[in-house]
Amino acid sequence: MQHQQITNSGDSDSIKVFVRVRPLTQGTGLTTDGDQGLCLTVTSPNTIRLHSKPEPRTFTYDHVADMDITQDSVFSSVAKNIVESCINGYNGTIFAYGQTGSGKTFTMLGPSDFDNFTDDQRGVIPRSFEYLFFLIDRESENAKSFLCKCSFIEIYNEQIYDLLDSASASLFLRENIKKGVFVEGAVEKFVTSAAEAYQVLSMGWRNRRVASTSMNRESSRSHAVFTMTLESKEPAKEVVNIRTSQLNLVDLAGSERQRDTHTEGSRLKEASSINRSLMCLGQVIMALVDVSNGKSRHICYRDSKLTFLLRDSLGGNAKTYIIANVHPGSKCFGETLSTLQFAQRAKLIKNKAMINEDTQGNVR
Amino acid sequence: MDTTLSTPTTGPRLSHTEITNMASTYSHEWRAVCDKFNNAQDLSEVESRKDPENDPFRSKYKARELLREIYCSLKNFDVGENESVNDEADQRPTEQPVDGGMEESFGRGHCGDSPAGSRAAKLGAVEYYLGVNHVETEELSAGEEHLMNCMTLLEKCSISPENVSLFIQVRNQLGILWAGRDEIEKAQGFLETAEAMYIRYMKEDGQPPMDLTEFFVAEEEALPQQERTKRFEMAYTHTLYYLAQVYKNLEQYEKAGGYCHSTLQRQLEFNQFLPLEWAINAATLSQYYITKTLYMEGRHCLSAASVIADLAGEVPSEAAAQESEAEAEKRDQLRQKRAEIARCWIKYCLNLLQDAKKLLEDNIGELDMDRQAELRATRLKEEEEKERGRKSAVLFGSSDTFDSICGLEEKVSCVFPVDFEEARAIFLVGQTYVNQAKEYFEMDGHVTDHIEILQDHSALFKALAFFEEDLERRCKMHKRRVDMMEPICKDLNAQYYLLVCRQLQFELAETYYEMMDLKLAVANKQDDLDAHTVKKFNHLCSSSTKFYQMFLDSVRSPEGKWPEKLEDEVLRPALVAKFRVARLHSRLISSSKTIQLENLNRSLECYNFVVQYCKDNPEAKSAIETELELSEEMVSLLPLKINRLQANLASSN
Repeated sequence: MQHQQITNSGDSDSIKVFVRVRPLTQGTGLTTDGDQGLCLTVTSPNTIRLHSKPEPRTFTYDHVADMDITQDSVFSSVAKNIVESCINGYNGTIFAYGQTGSGKTFTMLGPSDFDNFTDDQRGVIPRSFEYLFFLIDRESENAKSFLCKCSFIEIYNEQIYDLLDSASASLFLRENIKKGVFVEGAVEKFVTSAAEAYQVLSMGWRNRRVASTSMNRESSRSHAVFTMTLESKEPAKEVVNIRTSQLNLVDLAGSERQRDTHTEGSRLKEASSINRSLMCLGQVIMALVDVSNGKSRHICYRDSKLTFLLRDSLGGNAKTYIIANVHPGSKCFGETLSTLQFAQRAKLIKNKAMINEDTQGNVR
Repeated sequence: MDTTLSTPTTGPRLSHTEITNMASTYSHEWRAVCDKFNNAQDLSEVESRKDPENDPFRSKYKARELLREIYCSLKNFDVGENESVNDEADQRPTEQPVDGGMEESFGRGHCGDSPAGSRAAKLGAVEYYLGVNHVETEELSAGEEHLMNCMTLLEKCSISPENVSLFIQVRNQLGILWAGRDEIEKAQGFLETAEAMYIRYMKEDGQPPMDLTEFFVAEEEALPQQERTKRFEMAYTHTLYYLAQVYKNLEQYEKAGGYCHSTLQRQLEFNQFLPLEWAINAATLSQYYITKTLYMEGRHCLSAASVIADLAGEVPSEAAAQESEAEAEKRDQLRQKRAEIARCWIKYCLNLLQDAKKLLEDNIGELDMDRQAELRATRLKEEEEKERGRKSAVLFGSSDTFDSICGLEEKVSCVFPVDFEEARAIFLVGQTYVNQAKEYFEMDGHVTDHIEILQDHSALFKALAFFEEDLERRCKMHKRRVDMMEPICKDLNAQYYLLVCRQLQFELAETYYEMMDLKLAVANKQDDLDAHTVKKFNHLCSSSTKFYQMFLDSVRSPEGKWPEKLEDEVLRPALVAKFRVARLHSRLISSSKTIQLENLNRSLECYNFVVQYCKDNPEAKSAIETELELSEEMVSLLPLKINRLQANLASSN
């Protein structure tokens, strides 16, 4: 497939979406094994057609990759640009989204999680590390110095756990005028090479596995966020320019677990008979509060921990890519549709807030 | 604690003996049926929560078996009765829903205390439980079938204390079921019928009706009246809760709002609520009302929210929070939720002031005396109407909270202020809530929230300043805004808070601009400008320029390049900023002709930028029509002025 380089000329900072279709192979553990029916066709490098009844539906994204795409071209399309931006002081985020078995881990890490970091099939994350340190080495030649720290956390059931310190209790999100949003007390490990960064990642990944078996935390229901903080120092005339940026690599919970309010359509929330709570009354009321009429209002319901942590990436001051992984098997139709719809909604996320301006009597 | 409810004085017509009379013959078997029912309830509600992940419905299936057995026993009890009972096997549910709000069609036949009626009611109850069980185990069409069987069995029955609960609950379930299938109108039909049935029952009978479980308990276990009432009212509260959701899905927002309001009121009335959850919901509803300019209703919700939030108990001390995690959690929850409610109050005060300002201002944003007189006059009329409206509105409160809620309401007005005194009263209430909210949302830890509260505080000052007639004092109010925002604007890291930074920069620039205008107005009343005033005036000009410039710089790339094309969200603000900077440069007062010339050249440069940008990007024109027109004018006029000044300067050298 012809690979297209996405250029960075004046691109607006809205969220970009990359859809990847995995090959139809045996032994995925999905119920589609042995079923050769396909529910979708990649019709161009930007479009995918879903064979829905009665009418097929076409979805358009920044990039659609068919089964035969190489790991290297996925990296070039999605991550290369973001890593470059990080070196220049922008924040960047890459999300992986899709149902369990759709190839998320393969895309992000590679064939068998962590065996070999040199494999031709290694995923976006190891390649990003390599490229990042390649750029750091290159930049270091012209008197720039870099400091790189990693943290790795997991969000499960709205609780935050530190994957680099399995003994820690749940942590809190806080904000600071200088540092932005951060997880208070999360372990930060300094790394000086791609191999070290990779070690930190694999250690956290293992802890995630252990936690999911020993503490009843299902990893398919948790989000994992690996953050690299990059600080660069550049001596300029008499002052030292310090820039920091963050690269977030996010493995979202399997989409089949993401039965959030947005995908449920018209289903009614039932009252729980167990306690005195009508849990979702607030959401109903919230939907009534009109945002369009320019009135100032306050909504008391807090963001989820994940959106709060990555607020910057979701329509803020950052470059963001979502990789939506789908399985082409016809049995996966429902999940694939909801993944494609999610990815489409993500495209619409823009900075909701605006510059407030008082237009009354300002031309005097 | 339950509030005591007055029950109708007519004694219960319902005799439990009669209900179980036909079963008494089989008292032994009957007891077995009751035991099975108890087991099924227990399996379904308690045991099922412990079911393993890989067999999630184990207990539900067991319960289903028991219900089926009960059904068969019930059928057998009636052998020898001459009642013709439809065999439920032939009762395929009709495609059309039976309900559509036609309450005239309710049966007037059986009553629960006739043997046939009693039998139908029992069978109906089992069908109901079977239906719910199938729905819970994700077998929707089988569930629907059972629920429809229940409806059919009860068709001939009248709305009586024996049946009314089942009537309502089966329709609640069908409403949920159809909404889940995206057939909202069908769901609406069932739920509206349930609502009509409740209203009619309460009008015609109103005694505490039987609960569904009571069909299958021994006589001595009949529920007390109060418990019956509670369960029945709860089922109806759920009807309203589902209707609120249905209307929201049908985009009938006003109706949905009304049903949310009623649901909240019933939760209070029957003491079925969790204080904090309830308070947050009421506060959220207030925000719906204020976006609809319904301040009386908004204020009522907020007062209720504040009072009910206080029922959630005392905030544990910091020391206690250090000691135990549970106390820490409780402390955080209570403080956070109360701060959230305070923030809703802030928005109430702010919108009330801003809306009044919109009504009162003339086309240059000053207070219009004629409008003020007009508003005073209409307000008298409105107050009478409001009073009438208040009487017809659903008011919140239970017997022990009602007075506190009304008391809190009286502390702030809900009508538009017409003069400074009235505006100030609202401002002060808002400011009190600002301080309350800031106690929890401290800068360190809650940057975004804290700044939003400050922005509201600044907006409160701005709205109040409109009502202030003394220009010097008005200027001081704007100075307060500057003092609040400027230090934060300096410290805030734009890397993470770009948008907030831009908002603050723009607002500071505008505030200084406003102050500069006010100083000018004051100076124009004086005969001559003293050096001090000039200095002050120039300082305001430069400060405003500085912040506009900071905002403009935030649009540049990290390498300092201007974008070819401005992004939508900064297009207008950026061009407006350029335009203002142009004006500010031409306003600066200087006795030096050289400096004057520099300022004018800068000014021209900025005007030119605006004109040129709109030439290159015609789609931007609509965003800044007025400013563009003035810029074009200045681009043609300024060069003449500059030339004159240059000539002047050359001749004097």
